[in-house]
Amino acid sequence: MGMAQKEFRVESLELRMRKIFLVILFLLALSPHQVFAESSYVLPYPSSMPGSVWYTLHLVQERLEKFWYFGNYGQFSYNLKQADKYLVEAKTLFEYKQYLLADRALGKSDEYFQRLPYYLENAKKENRDISAKMQLLKDASSKHIEILTSLKKDLPDTFNWKPERKSATELNLKEKIENSIKIRERIKSRMTYGFEL
Amino acid sequence: MKRTVFILYGLILLGLSFFSYAFIDPNLIYYKNIYSGFAFQNKTLVTILYLCFIALLFVSYLFIIKSVNRKRFNSKDVRFLIGITCVGLFFSYPAMLSYDIFNYLTTAKVLFFHHENPYLIMPIEFLGDPFLLFTHAANKLALYGPVWILFSGVPHFLGAGNFIVTLMSFKLVALIFYVLTVLLIWKLAKNLYVVSLFAFNPLIILESLLSSHNDIIMVFLVLLSFFLMQNKKYLLALLIFGASILIKYATLILLPIFIFMLWKNYKGKDINWKNIYYFSFLSMLIIFLLSPLREEMYPWYAVWFLPFIFLIPEKKNILYLSIAFSFGLLLRYAPFMYSGTHFGITPLLKIVLASLPVVIVGFSILSSRPKWRNLLQLGWRKIPRLRSE
Repeated sequence: MGMAQKEFRVESLELRMRKIFLVILFLLALSPHQVFAESSYVLPYPSSMPGSVWYTLHLVQERLEKFWYFGNYGQFSYNLKQADKYLVEAKTLFEYKQYLLADRALGKSDEYFQRLPYYLENAKKENRDISAKMQLLKDASSKHIEILTSLKKDLPDTFNWKPERKSATELNLKEKIENSIKIRERIKSRMTYGFEL
Repeated sequence: MKRTVFILYGLILLGLSFFSYAFIDPNLIYYKNIYSGFAFQNKTLVTILYLCFIALLFVSYLFIIKSVNRKRFNSKDVRFLIGITCVGLFFSYPAMLSYDIFNYLTTAKVLFFHHENPYLIMPIEFLGDPFLLFTHAANKLALYGPVWILFSGVPHFLGAGNFIVTLMSFKLVALIFYVLTVLLIWKLAKNLYVVSLFAFNPLIILESLLSSHNDIIMVFLVLLSFFLMQNKKYLLALLIFGASILIKYATLILLPIFIFMLWKNYKGKDINWKNIYYFSFLSMLIIFLLSPLREEMYPWYAVWFLPFIFLIPEKKNILYLSIAFSFGLLLRYAPFMYSGTHFGITPLLKIVLASLPVVIVGFSILSSRPKWRNLLQLGWRKIPRLRSE
């Protein structure tokens, strides 16, 4: 074996080592922890929780504010605000394993969120440029999906909620969260590809 | 002589109205046919012309109030001069000194055209709206009280969707309230000199008839509530006072005075109205002087306190200082006109120009008093003595 051949072998070994190193680096980058597409949309702080006196007052405020937020953009802001508020409430309650209350809060968030495209459609009918609001709703959807996806993996699929002296409630948590994600994904895609009026 | 004065005064006002069109905003698409850009290309000349107009208006003002005080002008002459003032300034370009009128129009449009709450939705959210081109506070929520916002529906609907007609309707509203305030001051004082002090003050007429600020409506309502109190219509007075607060909130500071008046009436005691006007003047002056804490000491805020001091002309020194201050406040516009910027030396110049006439008048008042004159002379004499020691 000549000197030139030996040098060639050493070089190809180095090249192979480098390739292996890069593959390891790539595999490390794909570490087992789940990565979500993070949205810059900011959710509010959790407000008062069910059971507190303030919570009842907040419910009254919520009802009254509905009239103050008139107009299509006003209603859009109102419903988005409530959808965000109840999502944060649901997340907090899920984290404290208050599944029944969390389930109800998520239901309310879904209800408010589903109304949002309606007000944007109305605004569009009034010849308003709704592109900024569509982007906002798209960002909000992404953020909601991000939160719900992270919640889904920590929750049991079902839960039997058994309060004292009352009949038990079977909560299908996984199905509920998947449904909430679907609602938001549907709206997000509408915001991406436009309304079909 | 009178005729010459009337003609000259009318020409000054018409000249100022014509001059105001040099300031048309380049983005004001509705006025593009008469846009010249003159004020932005000839800043030095424009500043000099503005200062000349202000000086001429103040000379006219001093001449008119002196003539009224010496009974050279009667009520018919004053009425005629008020007519000239209204007509002379009604057709002026309203955004010469401030862009507030565009905010009024845009806020009214948010509520009455888009049917949105202006306290929640900013005009900037209506992307592509042509008003955004020239509205300077499009990124702000409504700054004014609900009574003003609701009332702005009147000129908005009068405009019937036409920008220039709407703009002129807002000017007409300000003009009507200026005339109503003049009438009310006549009712309250029954004195032609007092009426003239208010009706021809250059700051009052420029801020109400040229710039069409809503401050005149707030002041009218508070004076009307005082008038109703004098006529023992307490409930109505209270309602009108509340409406005044809900125009621009500033008259809230008069609430203790209003409660004091109600208490006096309840006790069946007489009200010293001169004292009421004096304390109202002081209260409104305090809130005016505190305005830089919020934003800036805008000249049109002087409309809040000037009418009250005009109602008590016996307090001569304060009256002279207030008139000097109104002159100084109008000079505040000059630094920006000249430099085109609100930064650099402009803020300092604004303070100096606003206070200079007050300092000069204050010094002349002090030097006219024997006690102060002696003190000042003593002060001057002490310096050489110290040096000789």
